Amino acid sequence: MTPYYLGASAANFSERGGVINIAIEGFMTLSAFSFAMFSIITNNTTLSIFLAIIINLAFALLYSLFTVKLKINQIVTGVGFNILIAGLTKFLMMIIFHSSSNTDRFEGIQDNAFIGQIPVIGAILSDYIVLFAIILIFISSFVLFKTTFGLRLRSVGENPEAAESLGIKVRHYKVYGILISGFLASLAGIWLASEQKSFSDGMIAGRGYIALAAMIIGKWKPVNIFFASLIFAFFEALQISIQISGTPIPSQIIQMLPYLITILVLIGLIGKTKPPAADGVPY
Amino acid sequence: MLSKFSISARANIISISLSLLATFLITVILILLIGKNPLPVFGTMFSEVFFSGYGIGQTLFKATPLIICGCGLAFCFHAAIFNIGAEGQLNAGAFTMALIALKLDWLPWYLTIIVCIIVSFGVSAFFGLIPAIIKIKKSVSEVITTIMMNFIIMALINYFLVDFFAAKSSMHTEKISDNLMLMKFSSMFSFFQGSSLNICFLIALALAFISYIIIYKTKFGYEIRAVGFNPSASKYIGTSSDRIIILTFIIGAGITSLTGLNFVMGYKGFYEYGFSNNVGFTAIAVALLARNNPIGIIFSSILFGVLDFGGLAVNDMVPKEIVLVVQGVIILTILSINTIVDKKYNLKR
Repeated sequence: MTPYYLGASAANFSERGGVINIAIEGFMTLSAFSFAMFSIITNNTTLSIFLAIIINLAFALLYSLFTVKLKINQIVTGVGFNILIAGLTKFLMMIIFHSSSNTDRFEGIQDNAFIGQIPVIGAILSDYIVLFAIILIFISSFVLFKTTFGLRLRSVGENPEAAESLGIKVRHYKVYGILISGFLASLAGIWLASEQKSFSDGMIAGRGYIALAAMIIGKWKPVNIFFASLIFAFFEALQISIQISGTPIPSQIIQMLPYLITILVLIGLIGKTKPPAADGVPY
Repeated sequence: MLSKFSISARANIISISLSLLATFLITVILILLIGKNPLPVFGTMFSEVFFSGYGIGQTLFKATPLIICGCGLAFCFHAAIFNIGAEGQLNAGAFTMALIALKLDWLPWYLTIIVCIIVSFGVSAFFGLIPAIIKIKKSVSEVITTIMMNFIIMALINYFLVDFFAAKSSMHTEKISDNLMLMKFSSMFSFFQGSSLNICFLIALALAFISYIIIYKTKFGYEIRAVGFNPSASKYIGTSSDRIIILTFIIGAGITSLTGLNFVMGYKGFYEYGFSNNVGFTAIAVALLARNNPIGIIFSSILFGVLDFGGLAVNDMVPKEIVLVVQGVIILTILSINTIVDKKYNLKR
């Protein structure tokens, strides 16, 4: 659930400001890699998290330069970012670790021992990032729907002309949305690398795109997105257990379900969805 | 009108050369950053690529699928359809091609090849048709649907391949019969000794010329570009944008299936899972660089072919993965420089 929900929330903040962000996949890859790289080099987890987030924010800023300042097509920019980041991580892996497929292993983020002692839920919540992802449901609902910032961000995504006439700096808010997006996506990447205790090529494996799917199915609403992410996490677990148990249901079919469901939702078979009105329109 | 056209041609030339220059500089910086001397790197790359028949052959071989796929995408992009699904579409086509070639090898070889091309064109087009229909009926952006379709198609192929058609303990089909293999250049000219270049390259060139004529010289091409320019205004010239969306998706996605011809019948003799190595995405860059002009796509594909083979040639000096970085940089520099140059010339595309 964690990487999907963080990724989907990331995409949501960007799209609420009217910027489609299919570079989430790349952002997750980039932070997973930089976290792994810095962990191995510095052997300092906190510092590595910090650096991974900074690098991701820098790329998010670059993304906003392309999409907001230069008003370049957001989809094409996203594809470009994903290709660039995939190449960059492979290249750096080759340079630093002399293998284009995976890095050395490292410690990963230690769980919180205190929370870990709580029975039942302790095992889940002792992971800081998982804990944050759960709190994020409330934070993002609150920020998006109860604060001036959220109201302005949403108005920029719905009707930038009107927002501008009310004196809102439309482009600034779009950049804020993208930066939050970069930050949340970096947490998703860090979590994945920390779980695997290494970075390997292709480890994000389309989770960035599934996150987009979760956002769509969650209808751009934090709580719904959380449940959509849960469903996809369930499919992932199901697929793994099917592969192990050898039941006759082909695991590939389970694998494609998230994507299939997204299309079905989009064409309105499972409830109606409506993206922010000015989503994807440069302003 | 004419002066407007020449301005846009000038803007094209300026922005393409600036993009290439910027990319070149970034590459030089990248090589310097890892503590290598760019001169011998480019020297080796240049001599390996351009001064050996094998190098030229391999470069053109790697450019072939990009030309094909780029032309397919050009049709979509001219109609302002963002088909991100070429990767899935071309895999579906190539897989079909290999299966039919295996099942129909009792027909005369030329008939088998014709059936292969027609059916795999149809299969790829079918997968392109789904996002097209969803776009028209439900006005859902083709971007998300084509991305999702990529994953669905690849999962389907994986299922059919693993459970029914794979050769033992492999991720590829059985090898098709030898008489279905396309002729290699190396068997005609000793110059191309050892290279995988095959006559599919000529098919790709022909395809580019035909695409060019259709897009720029026919009424249909005019309609495509009109819809791409302004879908609501296009109806005043009597064009239904729905019809154009359907047709460009069918043609665009269908053409990508020919990529399989180069790999399945021109090179390996079987379909291999993941053979395309993101050609469907790289072709987006190829088409962008050429500004969706099929003749330009020939050249941008060859440039990417040079990078691809050149990267291999200098692998012991700089890791070949640098090519992937350079490809990403090319896309982003083209995008930004195009926009800046267009703004300077007051061109809206």
